[in-house]
Amino acid sequence: MLIMRDKIKNVMALVFEIEPSQIPDSASTSTIDNWDSMNHMNLVVALEEEFNILFSDEEIVEIISLDAVEKSLSSKL
Amino acid sequence: MEIPYTQLLKITKEYKKNNAGEQYRVSVLSNIIINQIEPFIEYEFQKNGINALITFGNYDNILQDSLENNETDAVLIFWELCNIRDGFQYKANLLSKEEANDTVQKIKSEIDFLIESLSKTKIVIINKFSSLLFNSYFLKKNNYDLICDELNNYLESKILNNFVLIDIDKVIARVSVDRAIELRNFYSSKALYSIDFYKVYSNFIAPIMLSVLGKSKKALILDCDNTIWSGILGEDGKDGISMSSENKKGVVFEEVQTLAKSLARNGIIIGLNSKNNEDDVNSVLRDHKGMVLHESDIVIKKVNWNDKVSNLNEIAKQLNIGKDSIVFLDDSDFEINLVNQYLPEIKTIQVPEHIYQYPQLVRRNFNDFYNIKETKDDLNRIKLYQIESLRVESKSEFGNIEEYLKSLNLEMYVYRNSPDLIDRMAQLTQKTNQFNLTTKRYTVSEIENFVNSSEHLVMAFEVNDRFGGFGVTGLSIVEILGDKAILESFLMSCRVLGRNIEFKFLNEIIIFLGGLGVKNLSAFYNKTFKNNQVSDFYGKAGFKIVNQSEDRIDYVISLDEYEPKILNYINVNYER
Repeated sequence: MLIMRDKIKNVMALVFEIEPSQIPDSASTSTIDNWDSMNHMNLVVALEEEFNILFSDEEIVEIISLDAVEKSLSSKL
Repeated sequence: MEIPYTQLLKITKEYKKNNAGEQYRVSVLSNIIINQIEPFIEYEFQKNGINALITFGNYDNILQDSLENNETDAVLIFWELCNIRDGFQYKANLLSKEEANDTVQKIKSEIDFLIESLSKTKIVIINKFSSLLFNSYFLKKNNYDLICDELNNYLESKILNNFVLIDIDKVIARVSVDRAIELRNFYSSKALYSIDFYKVYSNFIAPIMLSVLGKSKKALILDCDNTIWSGILGEDGKDGISMSSENKKGVVFEEVQTLAKSLARNGIIIGLNSKNNEDDVNSVLRDHKGMVLHESDIVIKKVNWNDKVSNLNEIAKQLNIGKDSIVFLDDSDFEINLVNQYLPEIKTIQVPEHIYQYPQLVRRNFNDFYNIKETKDDLNRIKLYQIESLRVESKSEFGNIEEYLKSLNLEMYVYRNSPDLIDRMAQLTQKTNQFNLTTKRYTVSEIENFVNSSEHLVMAFEVNDRFGGFGVTGLSIVEILGDKAILESFLMSCRVLGRNIEFKFLNEIIIFLGGLGVKNLSAFYNKTFKNNQVSDFYGKAGFKIVNQSEDRIDYVISLDEYEPKILNYINVNYER
């Protein structure tokens, strides 16, 4: 589980142009400055490519925190 | 080629750390959401050592934003037909003639406004309008297509010299319509294109900005054998090579030569870097009737037996151009890897294994030579380079390629009096012209006699390296008379030249002869039209000249005094 979380943090760090250490477990669109709607699109693409999955429309709207991303990804892998 | 998105983000981030300094500023104006293109454009700049600062105008605010770009180096415009009015990709088709006309007139005046307000910008890259993303399924042209055509005609007729019009349909075609469009984001947030599209698009337009920055390639340097013609000149002869569409094998080479010639017409330097006798190649350039490239197209020639890295160094020096502005085209793994290792700044292209892919591969790399302002001077420039290259005195430098040879894992298999190889060995004596000391031709039965004779030693070798095998490519025939022996034949295919294998082979022969009680070994060089390159081979190996005439040199060496060259990077095996 920890490995998955770290993987997500690494992807987020690349997309948001910050260090993985700057992403707390509580990260969400309201706590990370660079997690705006534009970067959210990029994050979705990056996660889809990294984990080789596809998010549905509904999921894209829901995955706006690290916890939510992890939960959604876990259900797909 | 295909770099995953996260990988690209990672690479770009790495580059950013290393490429400090001045930034090239690009403003992107659009009537759709286009921000995802940022890392892809950045990547194209960064990999050429340029820092780029990409900024975006406001959504659907092209005209207003165009007034505020005086500080920028380049403006990139995505003016998408589907969003010139909300939902235009479907609403266009219900418009009456008058309504359609009104819309077109309105957009035309907006085009005028845009061109006027960007007339002072250094460079403006604007996409043509495209109906392809939404209309590729329809047999019939509809309003949406017609409006698209009309706007493009207008745009084309109005743009100024600082504008570059991009045929975006070419990019969409390369990606495919279905993979270029990102419908999920289009309907939710007006983000029209996919990341696959951004990758290809950014790569497609990068040469424009690189050209402005003087980073375009300036020279295409070509190998000869199996690169601009089919066959090996030194072995197949002038009549045996082919580069003409009249010949099945030659047809792709005619196309490649023509592509190179069209580059020359646009001011690109065409040069040769080939292991061949210069006179032979000159003769082909002068009057081989299949040749498209002629002396006048070629600015610089390094046709000799030096290593190709030294030749490329000299080419850069003589033409006074940066090595990073050279593209080198060759068919051999060995040469391509040698250049990659020693001159990584030179871009290399290898002739593909499937030869039918060759012309298309050359086309794929054409944009490297993109020149934003092609002028009449370009043709004159070729002349200037030609003069320049004559002016600078060339001085051969012998690069140390030993490290490279070490990395090749060269394996040599030596065969002695092998009955299995008789046919191949006879063929080698018949076919080998260039690296052939005595050029004695033998039939199969003559070779068979030597193999079975106690007074002859017939040695052959095969070479492999980490790229693959070359088969049996070398042969020597020695006549043994008590404690004396004479090298009647010593030859090697030019395909394995440049690895010092000939010296290692000679070494193995001498060791073996020593074991048979031979004390003195004689050898001779018989001059022919084609074997000039080996005229001093025995001298280099430590033999002493005992007699010399115009067409023959006789040598001898005492085995006690022979000092073998140390060539540890060639591993010798016997009798595979």
